[in-house]
Amino acid sequence: MIGPILSVRDLRTSFFSQRGEVQAVRGVSFDVAPAEMLGIVGESGSGKSITCMSILRLLKANGRIKSGEALFDGRDLFKLDEDEMRDLRGNDIAVIFQDPMTSLNPTLTVGEQVIETILRHRRLTRAQARQRAIELFELVRIPSATARLKSYPHEFSGGMRQRVMIAMALSCDPKLLIADEPTTALDVTIQRQILMLLKELQTRLGMAVILITHDLGVIAEVTDHIVVMYGGMVMEQGNVRDLFARPRHPYTQGLLAAVPDLRDDTHHRLTPIPGSPPDMAHPPEGCPFAPRCPHTMQQCVAAMPPLFDGARCWLQHPEAPRVAGVNELEPA
Amino acid sequence: MNHSIANRAASTGGHLPLDAGRLGEGVRSPDATGTNHPPPHLSPQGGGCRLQFGCVPVTDTAPLVSLRNLHKHFHLGGNLLGRNRAVLRAVDGVDLDIRRGETLGLVGESGCGKSTLARTLIRLYQPTSGEMLFDGTDIAPLSERTLAPFRSRMQMIFQDPYASLNGRMTVRDLIAEPLEIARIGTPQTRTERVFELLKRVGLNPDHATRFAHEFSGGQRQRIGIARAIALNPDLVICDEPISALDVSIQAQVVNMLEDLQDELGLTYLFITHDLSMVRHISDRIGVMYLGRIVELASNHDLYVRPSHPYTRALLASIPVPDPTVRRESEPMRGEIPSPIDIPSGCRFRTRCPLATELCAAQEPPLRDIGGGHLAACHYAGDTAMQTGQAA
Repeated sequence: MIGPILSVRDLRTSFFSQRGEVQAVRGVSFDVAPAEMLGIVGESGSGKSITCMSILRLLKANGRIKSGEALFDGRDLFKLDEDEMRDLRGNDIAVIFQDPMTSLNPTLTVGEQVIETILRHRRLTRAQARQRAIELFELVRIPSATARLKSYPHEFSGGMRQRVMIAMALSCDPKLLIADEPTTALDVTIQRQILMLLKELQTRLGMAVILITHDLGVIAEVTDHIVVMYGGMVMEQGNVRDLFARPRHPYTQGLLAAVPDLRDDTHHRLTPIPGSPPDMAHPPEGCPFAPRCPHTMQQCVAAMPPLFDGARCWLQHPEAPRVAGVNELEPA
Repeated sequence: MNHSIANRAASTGGHLPLDAGRLGEGVRSPDATGTNHPPPHLSPQGGGCRLQFGCVPVTDTAPLVSLRNLHKHFHLGGNLLGRNRAVLRAVDGVDLDIRRGETLGLVGESGCGKSTLARTLIRLYQPTSGEMLFDGTDIAPLSERTLAPFRSRMQMIFQDPYASLNGRMTVRDLIAEPLEIARIGTPQTRTERVFELLKRVGLNPDHATRFAHEFSGGQRQRIGIARAIALNPDLVICDEPISALDVSIQAQVVNMLEDLQDELGLTYLFITHDLSMVRHISDRIGVMYLGRIVELASNHDLYVRPSHPYTRALLASIPVPDPTVRRESEPMRGEIPSPIDIPSGCRFRTRCPLATELCAAQEPPLRDIGGGHLAACHYAGDTAMQTGQAA
């Protein structure tokens, strides 16, 4: 059994402003196995992006990693100095974001930007780097790769810009690619192309991928394992098939129930989750989902539940009352 | 109470009750409204209303909105003398009826013209050509002044509740603004109406003195909805109203939109790229591609019997929240061409797996392939071609 390529333990990240401390991430732990695709799903403010920005150490100036460790290939990323970290980013760990336009320099051709990225990390001549850039464009299926190197970012569509970003990210054969909402700004047809490309590259290049998204459909489509985040914590984690077949946390159940079933057009009402997410400047003491949960008990408000075999819910406690559909299968 | 302009004008002096006369069916008879409904010859296929099949029999069967060969072109760039200017054909010959009380979903990729269509319909843009019949009156050629009474009957909910609400106005002023513009009521009655609307959209009347930035995205969208329904409109255009919201909040807003429709008899044009939600909320769905409707059917028919290759490709692209569903089909090739340079013949042919020489030569008309299911494909309904595609 090969160990995980990335192991995050008890990560806590806060932002400090005039309002005080905003506890964006409150003790997150998970592992990423080599060559697997891990999905992190959550709504805005759940801490999913901040978790990954912490791992990359790309937090805004007022953000601080308070505690925890992120072991990558045996090294704790939080103990590296800036130079070591800069060397690692783009080399072993690469990242792509939701909006490729803001990640690309509009005044340089994409070719110059890809070649520059390659030269920064590899000892190659300019001609070799250019050749590598063409190969990368072909790998991510940008048509007429050689000619397209001379184009500027604005001459590409959103989908093609995301392909350019993926090509850049892959330029140094990273072991881990972090993709933060990579298809959110794209149309469904293009989204499918990009997801299939990511899946194919992950398998073909044996690269681990962390896919951050709010879209349960995207998660179900391509990932192997899932981490469900809410209120800066992991609410539930597990194998993708098990988790969708038998979600054990009321939040996961609520999320799945809130999206319309595509196979059903009977116009029956949707089941929303009432209320709104917690204010992370004043996070609740107990389970962050307790104020919106249909099964809240006194215990839920009083104390934070631990992870019971992958689900952070007091109902998973062996002595908890039985609730159909949560800790007990629904009667057939 | 009926909906003629004269009656509207007469009632502007006072406070408009939210649901006055909205639930009765008879009030919408053509005689009562006294307006002209489009004569059958305006239907492009001829032979009466092309949507008569499967049409729900109500007292007034004339659609609330009828778009006939609607075009909206934008002229771009060009040289100093304004010559050789490129023409962007955002809406390029749309025929579309929106029935009273229905939710018509409009889907398509970005750049297909769905938002331009909506903005043209409420005359934020001046249409290039074509007719826009609203309750029987062609509003395309109307001047600003003559358009005013129609403006209050068509309202819009925008995608971004952060950008579409003025941050310097209180919630009270935001929601009362349409009433002020339409000169309805006194400041006192308008405030009462704001309280009533806030309650209606699930917000606390105490919130009236606050500013939009004090609210979450879902609550802001509720404020936008209260503003949109303040004038008792007939038609509400929802342009991606839930796209900026979290999944758990989306369902809250969609349920509320459905309740408001039932209570107020609203007609919705629901524009979205969320193909799961559009099936849930719509009665009928139109699929747009490069400025035209390429397929239009009931929500059931569209998903069960998609007849245009583009619709099939769109549906095959939807990510399904069920990991046991592994789809084998290849993602659709290519990307939507530029609306400056629309392909000859069928505009989808450059990405279509079924394209033949006929498709390059002739643009397929939007035709009824049975039961009011419209498709603009030469091979729609052609079982041989479709099974060939499936195999």
